[in-house]
Amino acid sequence: MLNFVLRRVVNMMVLLVVVSFVGFWIIQLPPGSILDVQMQRLRAQGGNLPESQIEALRQRYGVDDPFLVQYWKWISRSLQGDFGTSFQTDQSVAERIFNRLGISIGLSLTALLFTWLVSIPIGVYSATHRYTWPDYVITLAQFFGLSIPGFLLALVLLIVASQLWDQPIGGLFSTQFADAPWSIAKVVDFIQHIWIAVIVLAVGATAGLTRVMRANLLDVLNMQYIQTARAKGLTEAVVIWKHAVRNAIHPLVMSLGTLLPALVVGEALIAIILSMPTIGPLYLDALRSQDMYLAGTILVMLSALLLIGNLLADLLLAWVDPRVRLD
Amino acid sequence: MSDSATTQRSAAGAIVTEDDVIRVEDLRLNFYTALGVVRALNGVTFNIPRGKVLGVVGESGCGKSQTGLAIMQLTPAAGRYEAGQVLFRESSEQPAVNLLQYERNSAEMREIRGNNISMIFQEPMTSLNPCYTVGAQIEEAILLHQTKDKAEAQQRAVEILRKVGMPNPERIAVSYPHQLSGGMRQRAMIAMVLSCNPTLLIADEPTTALDVTTEAQILDLMRELQREIGTSIMFITHNLGVVAQMCDEVAVMYLGRIVERATVEDIFYDPKHPYTIMLLRSIPRLGVNRAMRLESIQGSVPDPYSQVTGCPFHERCPSAMPGICDTIMPEEIIVAGSQTHTVRCHLYT
Amino acid sequence: MATVAEQLKQSRAPKKTEDVGSIPQWKLMVRRFRQSKLSVIALFVLLIMYALMIFGDFLAPYPHNELDSNSAFVAPTKIVWGPQGPGVYGITQQLNQELLKWEYTEDPSIIYPIRFFVTGHEYRLFAIIPMNVHLFGLETPPGVTQKVFLWGADKEGRDLFSRVLKGSQVSLTLGFVGVVLSVTIGSLIGTTSGYFGGPIDNLIQRLIELIRSFPDLPLYMALAAALPLDVDILVRFFLITIIIALIGWTGLAREVRGKVLAYASLDYTNAALAVGASHWYIITRHLVPNAMSHIIVVGMLAIPGAIGLETALSFLGLGILPPAVSWGVLLRDAQTIQAVVAYPWLLLPVACLVIAVLSFNLLGDGVRDAVDPYG
Repeated sequence: MLNFVLRRVVNMMVLLVVVSFVGFWIIQLPPGSILDVQMQRLRAQGGNLPESQIEALRQRYGVDDPFLVQYWKWISRSLQGDFGTSFQTDQSVAERIFNRLGISIGLSLTALLFTWLVSIPIGVYSATHRYTWPDYVITLAQFFGLSIPGFLLALVLLIVASQLWDQPIGGLFSTQFADAPWSIAKVVDFIQHIWIAVIVLAVGATAGLTRVMRANLLDVLNMQYIQTARAKGLTEAVVIWKHAVRNAIHPLVMSLGTLLPALVVGEALIAIILSMPTIGPLYLDALRSQDMYLAGTILVMLSALLLIGNLLADLLLAWVDPRVRLD
Repeated sequence: MSDSATTQRSAAGAIVTEDDVIRVEDLRLNFYTALGVVRALNGVTFNIPRGKVLGVVGESGCGKSQTGLAIMQLTPAAGRYEAGQVLFRESSEQPAVNLLQYERNSAEMREIRGNNISMIFQEPMTSLNPCYTVGAQIEEAILLHQTKDKAEAQQRAVEILRKVGMPNPERIAVSYPHQLSGGMRQRAMIAMVLSCNPTLLIADEPTTALDVTTEAQILDLMRELQREIGTSIMFITHNLGVVAQMCDEVAVMYLGRIVERATVEDIFYDPKHPYTIMLLRSIPRLGVNRAMRLESIQGSVPDPYSQVTGCPFHERCPSAMPGICDTIMPEEIIVAGSQTHTVRCHLYT
Repeated sequence: MATVAEQLKQSRAPKKTEDVGSIPQWKLMVRRFRQSKLSVIALFVLLIMYALMIFGDFLAPYPHNELDSNSAFVAPTKIVWGPQGPGVYGITQQLNQELLKWEYTEDPSIIYPIRFFVTGHEYRLFAIIPMNVHLFGLETPPGVTQKVFLWGADKEGRDLFSRVLKGSQVSLTLGFVGVVLSVTIGSLIGTTSGYFGGPIDNLIQRLIELIRSFPDLPLYMALAAALPLDVDILVRFFLITIIIALIGWTGLAREVRGKVLAYASLDYTNAALAVGASHWYIITRHLVPNAMSHIIVVGMLAIPGAIGLETALSFLGLGILPPAVSWGVLLRDAQTIQAVVAYPWLLLPVACLVIAVLSFNLLGDGVRDAVDPYG
């Protein structure tokens, strides 16, 4: 067990190094550099830029260094916890990322919880009531959930909510609470701001997982041990919830690994609509302005999140299913 | 006729005894599938006398497994009982009750399942839930039907595991199914079904998936336990060798009907139905001339979606009589000179 | 004993039902597919959408990029029945000084007739035949520039109907082509990996592991951001297609490898080897047909995702870029609540997207159930 975790962590480290290398390479692929973008902006603001200042910027950003040197500078600093200074705002990368990553992960975990709480019972109901009209309704709803773009749903919910009651638009807090200490009123205000994001984030994943849960449960219900359980005289509820669901739940556990980072980034579009200060819009901004330190760091961090999520999913799976051996 | 006191004919025309554990009469079961209606059971009638072992034999798809499942009302959801009765009599002192009068998942039916009637399935590899320990799965049945005390249930589970010949029952009880071999799992299954001393045990090809040595051990075990506890057994198999070893009486099934029913001696030494005769010829025997070829049955079982007119076996039957066998369905008749031997064939009318 | 059941049996007996065992496999699939009504409807919807896409230039009354400052945010034009058949009222534009918003008023006294098979802007039907005939257009006297906006106009006064048709040519093909490419790559690599094993397999598995260590969308975004901006629309289209294909193949490759490994150890493969069949023969005659249905199903189910991906990238400004249009580009106009409330017709491209993706999902599901009823 401990051995397994250790080996996985080492494997993860190696993968992360390769990922960071490839990620950095992809990020710096676009022709031109942040410097060009930066100089254009400065020129637009204050006319001509003295040659000496351009040179200073060049030195600072190391844009003339060969790729490997740039990579080494970035990664060695990152390992010391210094993620560099964002080209764009001169703010430290670490500060910018961690502020927003926290919000993003929090949002995503809430959405994940929502997903599980909804998709397991609905999937079970759908599978045990196959070919009845509620099953058809659920199935159709799932297809809509899979097919509706998140931002459209966000827009619709925003419109409906603002028609029905005083729905705050944008951000995480109303202005009067932004710097206030935590209180019940602030929590209520926070929930009012994020509920749309949570639902919108969760809808696609919920629809997908409900479908998977239904299909898996249908498979499991055909297994011999379900007949055995029924032949014992157990009630159908015990047969389903104790004997079938536990065997059908693998993909939901596995989803922890893939869903978490997907949710963290999936909110990019939604966050733009809902103007939420999360990691998605920051990453998009960094990519657009060729801010490679910032973009590279976010990409590698998301990869790390994915790998950690996968590891957690494996451990959870071993706990759910004794056949999965960790050695 | 010494048997005349105990055997008689039921309303549906079947041979019955005074003390049958189970009496199935004219059971009809259809499956409504996307591709059409499958007529799985077309009027199955048989009985199992108390304390006896009835072998049910036939090719794959003849409905023998569905008969077993129907008694427990564990038929898949697409199946509908169109007609018939399943009369179950828990003990000689109690009257028979028709199990089909209960809803599938009613409390009455669940009380009977696992407690009065138990079932063992073909695949020992998949018939135990991989997520729970063997002990926990045995305890589940005990807690449901016998006692509410967890410690006692645990103790009983270990005891019964010892009884079925498990080498180290305490350790087996905390093992997961995937840690056991096929034979061990089937032993665990037997332990599970016997944990509540059922009146009737339905064993659906319990040894088919096992190797010959293990098979012999499991059969010995079942025979022994049957003698000890007095459980009646419905033994579903396609293996006539196993039938000879295990059973008191035999019912031969073909396409959802019982075509011949007799004591095990009569089936082996005086088979009547051409299908039974051919089944017997298709098994190799010691001491028979090696040059003699084994016979296989011509053709295959008709498509379950289609309906055959006349005797369902006439297309494959070497003695089929044109004009009779392909038009009229033979009735079940008692073979002349016997009280217990019935057959469904025009050759004997 | 002529019971009721007996009589029933006799009445049923004469109609001997069809022998299911003798129906070819593909017919069974078609039969099962037709059973799921929703999938059949979805198939028809998609056929119609693709037909509209192919004849898009003929159906579109105006060039998709034709600006018209007199028609900013015109609502969908009301069609009326005039003396010369269908027509539209004359419309005048004036500025609302308070709200700083263009407002349009209809003048019921003037009706401009809608004409069919009119000549308009030049285009190439099927990208080959040069034509200038359009299904319909508005006949206006000289000096009047009014247009018929079936689905309204955007902020530049461009006809949304024409733009959606043009956009479909990207959105309905890019995802499809991307999936075909990625499925091809995935099954080829998966088969190779599974069949030959050893160091090749090991290398491929490491590569897959690496690609899968990146979260999908951020990787797509990074790659799309790396594309050159100053290339032809068609080139960019193919580059994005390739990006979609290059990342999407890993899942299928793993599945195909697993299937091949399973088949390779099956008896019939060994039997084929034993009688002297070549590797190529075994791959093409045994492995591919066995994995094919699975590959097709995976591909069908991947298409909606790929369409959504293109839309998302274009929406984020990393995919198809204006002046080219795709549905994702059109969605950019509908991203604020203010715009959507004021000009709800801007959501029409979204509706098209939802219908297309929904239909592909339903179709894929139906195909899966038909091909593999037990899976």
